[in-house]
Formats: sequence, C-alpha cells, structure tokens
Amino acid sequence: MTILRPSARRGFLRRNGSQTIVVALLVILMVVGSLVSSRFSTLANFMNILEQSVTLAIVSLGQTLAVLTGGIDLSVGSLISLASVLLSGITNGDPGMVVPAIAIVLGLGILVGLLNAAAVIWLKVHPLIVTLGTGAALQGVTLLYTMGPAGKMPLGFDFWAFGRVLGLPVGAIITVVLFAGTALFLRYTPLGRYIYAVGDDSTGAQLMGLPRAKVLLFVYGFSGFTAALTAVFLVSRFGVGQPYTGANFTLTSITPVVVGGTLLAGGRGGVIGTLLGVYLVSLLNNVLNYMDISSHYQLIVQGLIVIIAVSVYVEKKRKL
Amino acid sequence: MLTLSNVSKSFPGVKALSGMQLDVRAGEIHALVGENGAGKSTLTKIIAGVYQPDEGQMEFDGEIAHWATPGAAKVAGIHVIYQEFVLFPHMTVAENIFIGHERRNALGLVDHRQTRRDATELLHRLGVDIDPDRRVVDLSVADQQMVEIAKAMVHRVKLLILDEPTAVISGKEVELLFQRLQALKADGVAIIYISHRLEEIFEICDRVTVLKDGQFVASHSTAEVDRDRLVALMVGRDMKELFPPKADPAAIGAVVLEARNIRAAGRVNGASISLRAGEVTALAGMVGSGRTELALAIFGGLEMTSGEVVIGGQSFRQMTPARAIEQGIGLLTEDRKGQGLAILLDVASNITAANLDEISRWGLLDRSREDTIARGEITSYQIACRGPQNPVVTMSGGNQQKVLVSRWARTCRKVLILDEPTRGVDVGAKAEIYRIMREMAAKGVAVLMISSELPEVIGMADRVLVMREGTIGGELTGAEITEEHIMRVVTHQNAA
Repeated sequence: MTILRPSARRGFLRRNGSQTIVVALLVILMVVGSLVSSRFSTLANFMNILEQSVTLAIVSLGQTLAVLTGGIDLSVGSLISLASVLLSGITNGDPGMVVPAIAIVLGLGILVGLLNAAAVIWLKVHPLIVTLGTGAALQGVTLLYTMGPAGKMPLGFDFWAFGRVLGLPVGAIITVVLFAGTALFLRYTPLGRYIYAVGDDSTGAQLMGLPRAKVLLFVYGFSGFTAALTAVFLVSRFGVGQPYTGANFTLTSITPVVVGGTLLAGGRGGVIGTLLGVYLVSLLNNVLNYMDISSHYQLIVQGLIVIIAVSVYVEKKRKL
Repeated sequence: MLTLSNVSKSFPGVKALSGMQLDVRAGEIHALVGENGAGKSTLTKIIAGVYQPDEGQMEFDGEIAHWATPGAAKVAGIHVIYQEFVLFPHMTVAENIFIGHERRNALGLVDHRQTRRDATELLHRLGVDIDPDRRVVDLSVADQQMVEIAKAMVHRVKLLILDEPTAVISGKEVELLFQRLQALKADGVAIIYISHRLEEIFEICDRVTVLKDGQFVASHSTAEVDRDRLVALMVGRDMKELFPPKADPAAIGAVVLEARNIRAAGRVNGASISLRAGEVTALAGMVGSGRTELALAIFGGLEMTSGEVVIGGQSFRQMTPARAIEQGIGLLTEDRKGQGLAILLDVASNITAANLDEISRWGLLDRSREDTIARGEITSYQIACRGPQNPVVTMSGGNQQKVLVSRWARTCRKVLILDEPTRGVDVGAKAEIYRIMREMAAKGVAVLMISSELPEVIGMADRVLVMREGTIGGELTGAEITEEHIMRVVTHQNAA
C-alpha cells in the first residue's frame, strides 16, 4: 500500500499514451516497408502478416491477463509443446479423433493453469517461480512422450492455419473475436475489474474482501487455455506436433504485452494494447524479412524492443 | 454495537494483544489511544477480520462474531479507513467506490453509467465535489479520504473505524472531515477514532479507551478525564522521566552537514537544512510532507534533481549511500523491515552490515571478530536476544530497533539520521533509544530525528525544523518548542 499523491500528467496521452505510441510505430513501419519493397504494400502480404501473427496473438492474450494481476506465466512455451505433440499423437491421422483430441488438449491447458494458480495462492510461491517450475516439468513430460514429431493430423486440418473466410484468414478472425470478447469481459464484469484491482494493490484487494483466489484461478486457467489453443493453430500450420515447437513462445508472448502498455507490475493495461503489440512485432519481422535481414537479427531486435518498451512505460507506482 | 472481551493475539515473538476489552455503542465516536505499538492496529485488524483472535470473544450488532476474512466483516457492516488508504490508484473514483459491489445491469454486466450516477450521488450526499471519472492517483489526499468514506457508505456501514485520519490532511480539511463524522454519528453509526492528537479527541469523541503494551488500561467518557491524565495512562509514567536532559547550548558545536536547496522525488521542493555537532534536531511535519525523502536524498538513497549536500569540506551534487557512509553519515530508515534490517539474518550480521571492513581481513569475513563485536553491542544496548546468532525476525520491534541503532552508532562519526526511530517500540526501548541518541550527540555527532510524535519532538529536540510541502516551513528553538507552536507551523496557520 502506498500513500497516493497527485501526479502531474493528465489527459489524452496519459490515458492512451501506450496505444498512441504503438499505432504511430505501426504507421512508421508501414511507410518503411513500402519504401523497402514494392511487394510489401500488397493485400497478399497483409493477409500473410495477419495469418502469421495468430499463434503469437492467442498466447499473448492469456499472458496479458496474468501480467495484469502482477504475475506472469512462464509455463506457456512448454505447455504449447506438450499440447502440440498430444494433439497430433492422439489424433494420429484419424479424422474422428480430431475433436476429442482438441478437447483433451484444451482441458489439459486449463488444468495446468489451475495448478499454477493453486500453487501461487496456497503455497504462496511467486508466479514467476511456479510457472518456471511447471514449464520445466511439462517439457520433461513432453520428452517422455516423444523425442520427435508425434503422429499426424488428417488432411484438411490445415484449414485453421491457412483457410480463408470472406477473404480473411480464419485464425485472424478468431483472434479478433477472442480479443474483443476478453476486452469486453475486462470492462464489463466484476471479475474483470478485480483482475486490475489485484494487480494494482494485492494487499488492498484482500483488505477489501475481493476474491483474489478466484481471480488468480481464472487468470492462469485462461492463460493455460490460450496456450493450448495456440498449440492447435501451430499443429494446423505444421501438420504435426513437435516437442520443442512452443519453446520460443514463453518469452515472445511477453513482448506484445509490454509493448502494448501493460505494466509488468500489474494493474494497468489491457488486451487491445497487446493485439497492437502483436501486429507491431509481426509487421517488424515482415519488414526485416523484406530488408533481407536474417531471423537471428529479428530476435535481437525483439529483445531490444522489450527492454525499451518497459523503460518507456516504467511508472509512477512510486514506492519508497 | 461492538463488544470485545478478553481478546488476545500473538505473533511469532510478540504478544500483540492480551485480555483486551472494548465496548463501542451505536451513535458514538469512540477514541482509541495508546502509544505506537500499544496494539491499536492489531485490534483494528481483528475487528475488521484481517486477523483472527487467539482467544476471547467479539460481539457485533447483538451477535457473536467470528470473521474469517475482511470480506465477512465488511458484509456485516464494518468499514475501516486505514491510514494508508485501500484505493486502487489506476481506477477511477466511481470504480473505487463500488469495487466489490459493482453496479450491474439486467445481464449481470457492469453498468458504467449507473456506477457513475450512483457515485455522483454519494459524493453529493457527502457534500464533496469530486469528479467520479478522475483517476484516484490524481486526487489530493483529502479527496482520497472522502472517496474512502464514500466507499463506507455504499453498503450500510454500522461501524466505521478511522486510523489516524488527520495525519495526512490539514486545517480546513480536518474541519470538513469532522462535520462528516458528526453527520454519520447522528445517523446512528458507531465510529472508532484512532488518533495521536489529543486535542482532536476532546473535540469530537464521546468516550476514549486507552491501550498500553497490548493491554486494556481504561475507558472513560471524554468529559471525565483531562489531557494530562490521558497521557499518563498512555505512557504509564510521567513523560519527563522518558527523556534525558537536552544539550547545553554551549556544547553545541559547528555545522557538520549542510543540505542546500534540495529537490528530489517531486516531494522535496528546495529544502535547506544545516546540522550541528552535539545537537539533536527534530524534523517535524505531516506524513507526506517530504521528510523521509529529504533524509533519503541526504543519504543518497534518492536521486537529487537539484541542490547539494556539503559535508567534511566536500560538496556533493548527488550523494550515494556508499559516499554517505564514508563521510560518516548513518540513516536509520522508517521502514525497519523493508529497508533497514536484513530480517532473516542474525543479530551479528545486521550489526556489522554497514561496515564490513571492520571485520574483513584479506577480503574475507572474520566471523569470530564479528561475534565478539556483536556480543559487546548486545550487552551495551541491552538487546534482548539469545545471542549473536539469533535471527532478528523473531525479536520484538524495540529490540530490532536497538540492533539498527547499534549498527549506525558504530559507523557514523558525524551525522546520524533517524526516521521515526520509536515507531512500534515499547516504552522501555523508547527510553533506551532516546538515551543512545543523546549519547551520540554528546560525542559530537549531529543527530537528526524525523518524528510524527509531538511529545517525542518536544522532549528530545534542541531545535525543531518543520517541513511543509517539501520545504522547511519554520524553525523553533528552546522555549519556542511547544505542541501549539509546532502545530501552527505544520498546518500553516500564520507561520511562526
């Protein structure tokens, strides 16, 4: 708890500062992109970007809620890997097994999230440590299950990754619906409100009698769900689940969250910023591709962006 | 409305409350007084359901009450306004008022329009003009307090507890607060009012209960006791015995540290002070007036945006703790647990923490030498512990504080700054700490004590600096140091 002091910054930029900056960067990147290559500003390229950003978007959605409560979910990468191999392993080419396999995998994601939350709540371990631990354990389980690509998906399952509806990538439509739904949830339900309260002042939330346990169970359960859903789209893309396919997502899922203006300390931010952050990262990678810059450099650039973003938004939660 | 009988509560190493009793009636303002560490906040938290009593019984509104959580106490009609508000800074006023009781529409979704309308009406009923759409972080402290009161009114509050409500507001705002409290009282609300300011208690409270060392001392109608009697009940002895004699003006030496025009953290706005050898200077002022920040800036714990600290013939535009220690400055922080003690370590390592050179040989720590030093300090400061290896976490507040004092007494040769040194310690340890401060001064150290406790300021200080909104608002010496004078400067009523 802190004694609050009036702060000097007000108005539009303060309330929407993060979004404004990200939108401005998006615009700048578009200009740079179109200068770099004539193929950049084509409809096909934009559809491509939307399509490629689906997996990052979905996993970042769950991550955003975890960060809003002042926590973090570092188990998503391994969870994606496990869910991927299980999905294609269980299905193993049988079209009749697709739906049950997806249900099992999504259920597993939620279960892992609930376990994470339970450890945070009742064992009183910081989420960073809890999810780091579950992440390591899940990677172990994955490798026990298979050391290489497992099973395969039936023909046509790649519709989720590459299909179009009304000319738009299916995954992108699902992404936007999920983000809009979550944004409304955060704004219009009490539980959504408590997510911010817990992140803003966890002790205060408890003194107010707000249901902290319920908030954390929901948030980590949701993050597990979105990670598993990410696996579904990844498997659709590659046709098979692989034991390390999610490894990069643990860290990359945090990039859009912080770039989108959600405070790592919690209590402030939202999913719309994250979606903009996702598109910023994807657009950046796309432009770098057109500039013939290797993907290794893209990782370096992403790392720098995270550090810069956090230093820009660093705040105002003045604690002495 | 509320009756407690024989309530006890222990924490590891401390008995916070024992055999406590309290009786608060509907439609009265009941003062709870006692020194820091007397058990007021533990008692408050038991009533509010944050802690559960180890033994004893609590009756609220005619029924036996066992609250497992703060939420349960809230539902029963108990609302606490803590000294540090429970507000979510990034949410709006309206959202804060209704948190936990969201206004919903037919679909069960949060109704933002209704929330705003109800908030406006509530604030209007309180007679305050606050925009419900503003973020709480942008409000003044007095307005934040009104938001807290509005929160209490959302569901029928039957018992309102205010912990030091006037510590953070001043003059006119206090008057407004008192009007609101009188109105709530007229509505039949029971109010528990915790304050150090005795004059306030006589102004608005009907009855007063005194606590000391976690125990019930007495309950009286405010009409039947006077100020001196109340102080004697709180302290358990005459105030004058507590403080060692002040410095002889002739013994006060040259200026050893000068801080000029310091600005830092947005809360210190051009403060200048100078400290003299052999003198105990008190820094008084309201919580939030920038006292702690000024001390931190001088010690190098905060970035200075302007100004300089002059010590030992050198001028520093930016202090760092390492330089400060090298120059012979010591700082005992306000937040003992967070910033002072390595709480899980033992007594010995805490005593030597600020000066490891003393016990290092060829870059390695000499543990047996550390042990010898610690044993010496434990004896000379009468620190109650099982020995140098006793972890400080299990010790009482007073003894923890003595560990810290002894740490700085070893290293600081010129200036010792103590931020609320007696907060949460018992009377015995207080007397001990006052004695040590005097001894340090007698050895030629300049002592700067930050304190919110007026009796302590009056009893200890050779000179009082009053801080107000980040600058030094006034200076009092000798016979000018009275409660009335200090309060006048603090609240800026025709500056002395």
